[in-house]
Amino acid sequence: MGLNDLLAIGVLAAFAVLLIVRTGTERRWPTALRALPAFTELRRAVEQAVEAGQRVHLSLGTGTLIGSESGPALAGLSALMRTTELTLESDRATVASSGSGAVAAASQDALRGMLGRLGSPGLYRWTNGRMLGPTPFSYVATLPTMLEGDRVSVNIFMGHFGPEGALAADMAARQKGFVLAGTDAIPSQALFFAIADQPLIGEETFALGPYLGAGGMQRASLRVQDLLRVALIVIILIGTLLRTFGIGL
Amino acid sequence: MRTGLQIIWTAIAIGFGLIVLQGYFIDIPGLESLRTIILQWAVILAAAALLFGLGNLMAVHLAKIGGQEPGWPYSALLVVALVGTLIVGLLFGQESTLILSLFQYVQQPVEATLAGLLAISLTLGAVRLLSRRRDLRTTVFLATAVIVMLGTGPWLIGNNQGFQQIFTGARAWVSQVWATGAARGLLLGVALGATATGLRVLLGADRPYGD
Repeated sequence: MGLNDLLAIGVLAAFAVLLIVRTGTERRWPTALRALPAFTELRRAVEQAVEAGQRVHLSLGTGTLIGSESGPALAGLSALMRTTELTLESDRATVASSGSGAVAAASQDALRGMLGRLGSPGLYRWTNGRMLGPTPFSYVATLPTMLEGDRVSVNIFMGHFGPEGALAADMAARQKGFVLAGTDAIPSQALFFAIADQPLIGEETFALGPYLGAGGMQRASLRVQDLLRVALIVIILIGTLLRTFGIGL
Repeated sequence: MRTGLQIIWTAIAIGFGLIVLQGYFIDIPGLESLRTIILQWAVILAAAALLFGLGNLMAVHLAKIGGQEPGWPYSALLVVALVGTLIVGLLFGQESTLILSLFQYVQQPVEATLAGLLAISLTLGAVRLLSRRRDLRTTVFLATAVIVMLGTGPWLIGNNQGFQQIFTGARAWVSQVWATGAARGLLLGVALGATATGLRVLLGADRPYGD
């Protein structure tokens, strides 16, 4: 085990400890969320969809659940559970789509689990968690038919997307639906910025849960991320200054 | 009973997650082989899940056809193409000329066309962006896009070396200094977000699975 491994374990352990400690103090000192127009607009759009009897669609991307693509997929699943709770009173349950069989299965499990926890297991339909196509562009090709047939008015794109994500978001925008989009891939974030009504930049993609009302550790994790970000900035600045003055690291 | 199952699933998720995670940092022979087995299972399960996903796809579209819902002919075409390709693949093998032709002359052109549509979508998206969000961020975004496009490829109007050099230099400055720095900052944020999401699952706070 090298120095880098030790450092990584240390950072992860510090992250976990801070997360647990902050969660413990969350009730006494709740994390104040800064206003983000994207999430305010999303809540409004979801409420309107519920009132109008229209459907909320959550796209979990075209990535898989294995490897680096699993992070945004897990964030998307977390958002799916919160959206399911918000649309519980709707005539039309939230529908989740993906371009991977594993993510589709996970979305069905998340929907079933959440509806069970909310005391409405009878509302679960296995077709509400769908794989639209096994390749990125076949996913995009089948998306418009789904959006039109299911009377979708709110689209949340939350998962791993390549360039096909922009095309998917454009198709959703053409159906006159509200589009909020976030992903982990930086080039795709730039594409979403041009197309989505409300694009999410950087770590905002992982913050949807707390902004949709999730408390406890989800909310606390935002504060811990802020803390670690500040620490990283300080370390980068110190490193830059040291290198500038010729002190090698 | 329900709580008992919840605890079991959560314990399994945490246990498997920790075994895979430790393998990145610590080299313990017994755990390392267990980690390899778990990762192999994950790959096999992902492949099996593809079949499950195809079953789900068929069920959704057969229901649309049965209910004569709007757009059902597209669903019928999808089912026919899916079943047809599957039968041809099973009968002639995945490396047969017929299957390769299907990919070469049907799937590849369709996907290439969709990829080509991306340029049009982005152009229209940029126009819509001007009418939808007129703020400083949008202005910077569009100005950057214009500079990068003008600085990429040949200069179209005559042989204007001066302008071309200015835009090529500006493009290099924007993409290599500003964009690279911003991308790294964003990546740090994404990494922190992904780590927090993973840790919440490992600590059992997020349970994106059934009970």
